[in-house]
Amino acid sequence: MTTKIPKTGVSLYSYAGEFGVSMTLEDCFAEMNDLGTQGLEILANAHIQNYPNPTEEWLEEWRRLLKVYDIIPVEYGHWVDSRMIPGRELTTQESYERLIKDIKLAGKLGFTVLRTKLGVIDFDLNPVPNWREFIEMALPLAEEHGVVMCPEIHQPTELNSKMVSDYVEFIEKTGTKHFGLNIDFGIFQTAERMVVPGFDNPPSTPEEIIPFLPYTYACHAKFIHMTEDFIEPTHPYEAIIKVLKENNWGGYMLSEYEGKNKDLAGYATDQVRKHHVMMNNFLSK
Amino acid sequence: MRLLEQQLIQLRGFRNAKIADNVIGFQVPIRLTYYRGVWASQLRAATVTVNGEVYANEQVFWTIDGNTIEQSELASTTDVHWNSMNTAILTVRKEGGLTPGVYDVKVSYDFSSSYLPPAIDTGYFETKGERKMVLVK
Repeated sequence: MTTKIPKTGVSLYSYAGEFGVSMTLEDCFAEMNDLGTQGLEILANAHIQNYPNPTEEWLEEWRRLLKVYDIIPVEYGHWVDSRMIPGRELTTQESYERLIKDIKLAGKLGFTVLRTKLGVIDFDLNPVPNWREFIEMALPLAEEHGVVMCPEIHQPTELNSKMVSDYVEFIEKTGTKHFGLNIDFGIFQTAERMVVPGFDNPPSTPEEIIPFLPYTYACHAKFIHMTEDFIEPTHPYEAIIKVLKENNWGGYMLSEYEGKNKDLAGYATDQVRKHHVMMNNFLSK
Repeated sequence: MRLLEQQLIQLRGFRNAKIADNVIGFQVPIRLTYYRGVWASQLRAATVTVNGEVYANEQVFWTIDGNTIEQSELASTTDVHWNSMNTAILTVRKEGGLTPGVYDVKVSYDFSSSYLPPAIDTGYFETKGERKMVLVK
């Protein structure tokens, strides 16, 4: 059995406060290249000009940038905005049609994982009740385009919850390799957790991820503050990375900065750089 | 790509709006300060306030990616996407437009986001901007 270790990357969400204002897509790629990291997450409807129909000229530029800056397209963030039409939920067919556009575009851009954000129906963040139907309809197309659709497991959801068991049950029942999980490290956050009225969920422990690793195709390496000595005081990074390494998980940890001052030029880039120093430290231990 | 100003209301493009030679009002370019683009149907009616005078509903129409959309048509416009890299133009109908000068301009708009619980899927991202704006012509 080959030994695998997690790989690193950046979700361009980290630079959201500067993207289009003080950073172009090329600046984001150049920054990643400077960090010596390759794994890229974009948000389709933010970073693709003329989404969902980019021009040939844009596609050519995309391929040039990937090559010049040595970037690997990993995760393609997209949404099924189930209430995009006021007053009703999208039908199963309409939701499926949303997926078709994104699966094809993600495949064309070279991505392998889709962070498929589903519409939710309550404060527990339970997904729309027909998710199984439209996801199942899209599985053959996902297979054809070589992508795996992954809902994001995010605070206040816990790993050991009905929602996550429902996803796993669907994967096991269908036997699919084209639907899985994106785990956001915020579920492990031990301090300054999101305040959600009615929720007092404890953080999941890093060990709790182990049974879900076979279904986990990417992780959002969520962080909210890096200190000058490369510590993230609110997330147990050393323990998380240790568990991932010990369990031979070789997917991408994509830095996702969700702290303050995102609009302040240079602040998020400084934070992401420190985050990479920390991840590299723990990966080499 | 062309970079935009950090502020919600963009200075470049603040001018009187003409159809042929008729000044039908004035236009206010705005940025989507959200981290991803939205479909027009996710938007709710915007309000523009100039020196305290409020313009809303049918007094304002949107231009997104070259498409003109009345505020009453936003809900049914599911095929026009406002990318966060581009400005949208709010045109305010006002006979004769504005005379050259400095104006206190406020804009507010809102949109739905379905990954939030239905009870808060609008309101949560309600966006407001205010800026002293110079109109040249």
